[in-house]
Amino acid sequence: MADLKEARVPDIGHDNVPVIEVLVKPGDKVAKEQSLITLESDKATMEVPAPFAGTIKEMKLKVGDEVSEGAVIAIIEADEAGAAPAQPEAPKAAAPAPAPAPAKAAEPSRAEPAKPATAGGVREALVPDIGGHEGVPVIEVLVKVGDTVAKDQSLITLESDKATMEVPAPFGGVVKELKVKVGDELSEGNVIALIESADAAPVSAPVAAKVEAPKVEEKPAPIGGRGILPGNAPEGDVAPTARPPFDSRIVMPGDAPYASPAIRAFARELGVDVHQVKGTGRGSRIMREDVTAYVKHALASGARPTGAPQATGGGLNLLPWPKVDFAKFGEIEEKPLSRIQKISGANLARNWAMIPHVTQHEDADITELEAFRKKLGEENKDLKVTPLVFQIKAVVAALKKFPQFNASLDVSGEKLILKKYFHIGIAVDTPDGLVVPVIRDCDKKGLIDLALELGEISKKARDKKLGPNEMSGGCFSISSLGGIGGTAFTPIVNAPEVAILGVSKAQTKPVWNGKEFAPRLILPLSLSYDHRVIDGALAARFASFLATQLGDIRRLLL
Amino acid sequence: MANTIEIKVPDIGGHDGVPVIEVLVKAGDTVTKDQSLITLESDKATMEIPSSAAGTIKELKVKVGDELSEGSVIAVLEVAGDAAAPKAEAPKAASAPTPAAPAPAKAAAPAPQAAGASGRTADIECKLVVLGSGPGGYTAAFRAADLGVDTVLVERYATLGGVCLNVGCIPSKALLHAAAVIDEAEAMAAHGVSFGKPKLDLDKLRGFKNKVVGQLTGGLSSMAKQRKVRTVQGVGTFVSPHEMEVETAEGKKLIRFENAIIAAGSQSVKLPAFPWDDERIVDSTGALELKDVPAKLLVVGGGIIGLEMATVYAALGSEVTVVEFMDQLIPGADADLIRPLAKRLGGKLKGVHLKTKVVEAKATKKGIEVSYEGESIPETKLFDRVLVSVGRSPNGSKIGAEKAGVAVTERGFINVDTQMRTNVPHIYAIGDLVGQPMLAHKATHEARVAAEVVAGMKSYFDARVIPSVAFTDPEVAWVGVTEREAKEKGLKIGVGKFPWVASGRAIGIDRTEGFTKLLFDEETHRVVGGAIVGPHAGDLIAEITHAIEMGSEAADIGLTIHPHPTLSESVGMAAEVYEGTITDLYLPKRK
Repeated sequence: MADLKEARVPDIGHDNVPVIEVLVKPGDKVAKEQSLITLESDKATMEVPAPFAGTIKEMKLKVGDEVSEGAVIAIIEADEAGAAPAQPEAPKAAAPAPAPAPAKAAEPSRAEPAKPATAGGVREALVPDIGGHEGVPVIEVLVKVGDTVAKDQSLITLESDKATMEVPAPFGGVVKELKVKVGDELSEGNVIALIESADAAPVSAPVAAKVEAPKVEEKPAPIGGRGILPGNAPEGDVAPTARPPFDSRIVMPGDAPYASPAIRAFARELGVDVHQVKGTGRGSRIMREDVTAYVKHALASGARPTGAPQATGGGLNLLPWPKVDFAKFGEIEEKPLSRIQKISGANLARNWAMIPHVTQHEDADITELEAFRKKLGEENKDLKVTPLVFQIKAVVAALKKFPQFNASLDVSGEKLILKKYFHIGIAVDTPDGLVVPVIRDCDKKGLIDLALELGEISKKARDKKLGPNEMSGGCFSISSLGGIGGTAFTPIVNAPEVAILGVSKAQTKPVWNGKEFAPRLILPLSLSYDHRVIDGALAARFASFLATQLGDIRRLLL
Repeated sequence: MANTIEIKVPDIGGHDGVPVIEVLVKAGDTVTKDQSLITLESDKATMEIPSSAAGTIKELKVKVGDELSEGSVIAVLEVAGDAAAPKAEAPKAASAPTPAAPAPAKAAAPAPQAAGASGRTADIECKLVVLGSGPGGYTAAFRAADLGVDTVLVERYATLGGVCLNVGCIPSKALLHAAAVIDEAEAMAAHGVSFGKPKLDLDKLRGFKNKVVGQLTGGLSSMAKQRKVRTVQGVGTFVSPHEMEVETAEGKKLIRFENAIIAAGSQSVKLPAFPWDDERIVDSTGALELKDVPAKLLVVGGGIIGLEMATVYAALGSEVTVVEFMDQLIPGADADLIRPLAKRLGGKLKGVHLKTKVVEAKATKKGIEVSYEGESIPETKLFDRVLVSVGRSPNGSKIGAEKAGVAVTERGFINVDTQMRTNVPHIYAIGDLVGQPMLAHKATHEARVAAEVVAGMKSYFDARVIPSVAFTDPEVAWVGVTEREAKEKGLKIGVGKFPWVASGRAIGIDRTEGFTKLLFDEETHRVVGGAIVGPHAGDLIAEITHAIEMGSEAADIGLTIHPHPTLSESVGMAAEVYEGTITDLYLPKRK
């Protein structure tokens, strides 16, 4: 059935882009994805493909025309096959694929090489190269028939003897048939599912496919980048912006500081925002002496010159960050820090620089605790009771005994705020970086409740589902690396908390019991604390109390 | 009919005004329940907000940067389920390709993702590469070299100096000097000194112009050598944030640099209505070649460049017609400033036509046939030459900036901070391609800032005003606040205007049409703007520029002794007019 349709210009990111070439003429039969016209923006040329197959009835554009998104390129009598995906029985397929998983956004322009496969057709999703492993069992099937999947969305999970891996969909579409089930053993090339590919998804963004298009992706903000190079950081500077040729505000006395060019340059030299300086010259003109007096006053009063919050690093007079052109020495790759890494990085740097840290190390004998925990685990098979749950309980007991640890300095630094609640932060390692969800009211919860909540909150953290309220309000944090190894480390206090407990790997060690060496399971604890609030003796008592609690958990009942 | 619901921000822990940092879906997307719609970033962490229902996004209510609180509407969703009522034909769906990636809502100038290092061995390594050797580029290179920075200067043409020295400011001034002498000699006939009709030896005149250019550009080459600035001739483009490739005569050369200053300038806007393949259609570069003196010349665009060339060719004997789209020549300057110029041009040119534009220009055997549209249609339709001078466009998008990660605006400008840094901290940009005004003296000032910052100094572009000059006859110059801007913004401004009819020197040179005007802040009496029309206005504007930067009061200028009899006295007298202390004019008492 002849069906006249309009081929339109897709989202090309620019308006009024000139047509520099017309590649087809009326009467031509075009295949889907065949280029119709070539556009040239100021960045690059791009060809616009036919969104469906058919016969050109009429061309609506000629060379020199300027087009924007939505402009009609041509009237095409669509072939039946090409029209199929738009038919009623497959409304889902015609709809644009759902936005791909965020992981995908990292490489948006790696557009799939436009395969000549008939769009809208049912295609096989195959097991890709999985490192030469054969017969790898399926441990989980993540989609079901009828699901709409985005490209790169995980379809199944395989577990080799090395690791588990998720197999992503090679293209978006609707799952028509699943060819595997849990327990199947797969090798490269096996069919996982039949997917009716979402129309147009493989065609996708002609810009991306055709051009080494600059990715419209968020880059680390330039200011942040400069912020870590104090020597090169502009003081009181602004981000690059378009500048108007002239604005009267720059000279009108109400807005412009009364200072000559040389004085303005002098102020810049000293990192002084000349707007802040009070002039003592005639008509309040700012004199050179006014700038120096301002700096002297600022230094005397302990404040730093304004406008340089990053550069001066809170008053630290640091050397500039070493600037190395790494590419000079060999191949490199740039990878932006994740958002969480950037946020936690800035916090850690501040905490490390501003809190006088001391770390107290202590060993806890957890032989009996472990025995009890194992037993508990056997009794509650569906629940994972980790050592961390006991550590939380022990910490709560210690906080009760030493309230100074359940405290924060107020902003003025002159008062201590003691907390009457016991919310414990747990450092969780996620693929995107470190987050610290908080378990509330740990004093009121039993071991089982805590274990349940810990499991939930860790999963939420890894799934990026944590809300800010689940990460605030902590009194004290625990960072456990015991599952990985180590004998001791120095955790960084999570401000405004005043202490943090680091836990390393428990090991069986010979311990002298008065008569002989006995094998005991020893857990190394590292307690970092803010020395402004807590002194060494108190910390030693706290750590030792903690070890005692873990050594005999009956004491937790006290 | 499918029903629509609003998806709202759920309880996000009592935080208000949490910014959206990413929008993960767009209108038309089909979403499943719990599929993430947007990402919020509080001061603690980022979180994704899931869709509370499955369906199709009808409308997005938020964009990146919006600040949301609990209950804010994120999107309008057509709930799935009733989706069984699909339209009989859904051509739109089929013809709207989905971008493979979610298009992040477009920021003003999205920073491009830089390309990776090429991995090739560099032919040249340096601390600083400067792309372009115009007044900005050579100044940056020389200043940096003088501060001990190992510098390479890349220039596509054989001579240094860029547009300004080779095909702009400098050669045009040589020709304008000839035009001025011709006009003055002619004017003297009325006062008893006749030289007769000028005899033109065009080759010699062109030779003089070329000699002027050669002297300056040759000087640049030797100064580059003295400073040990390495120059590389060829078209340079970035290939990565630390590499530039130059197409030289001997093949491609790869320069590896630690810092770069982009000084690649601008080029004439070539209006598509003109047959540019015909050599009778020229831009300013073509007009400055001085191939011949066309009998009939059309100048399209009555800005500074167009009027300067109109002045030259009119003096050399061409019949010149000027067409300007706006309602004033040199749009941007105050109207009173233009009147003496328009009057004088009216006597020298065939015609000046405002609010008129060329709609078609056809190359025929007889000449360029032009048709117009507008309020003042010129008589002449056939020209021997057409100069198109309608502005200049920046070259920001021609240098591979995106490979270096440098953001370029859609119009080709590169945004910079007050230290001339682009969004890539080790790459700077100066001159025409960072914004208006496109003037050499702005570029050189920016160049010094960029070079000094590269050398580790704490320099900033802190200049408050940039003077503009049209080297027409009479010259027109202005700086700082204009009366037009003061009026638009309602600034409390007082004006001191001194007409040159009261200047002995102006009378002596028979050029009394000019005036000098100063604008003062009414409260502080500080000078905030100034404008001059008349011979040598371009030289005289310097004093006003300095006075504005210094924050001079009217009395500072008026009480400074200006030499007599000079045109510079007019600046002091304009201040006296404002102060009410003028004796060279009689002004009725103001108060």
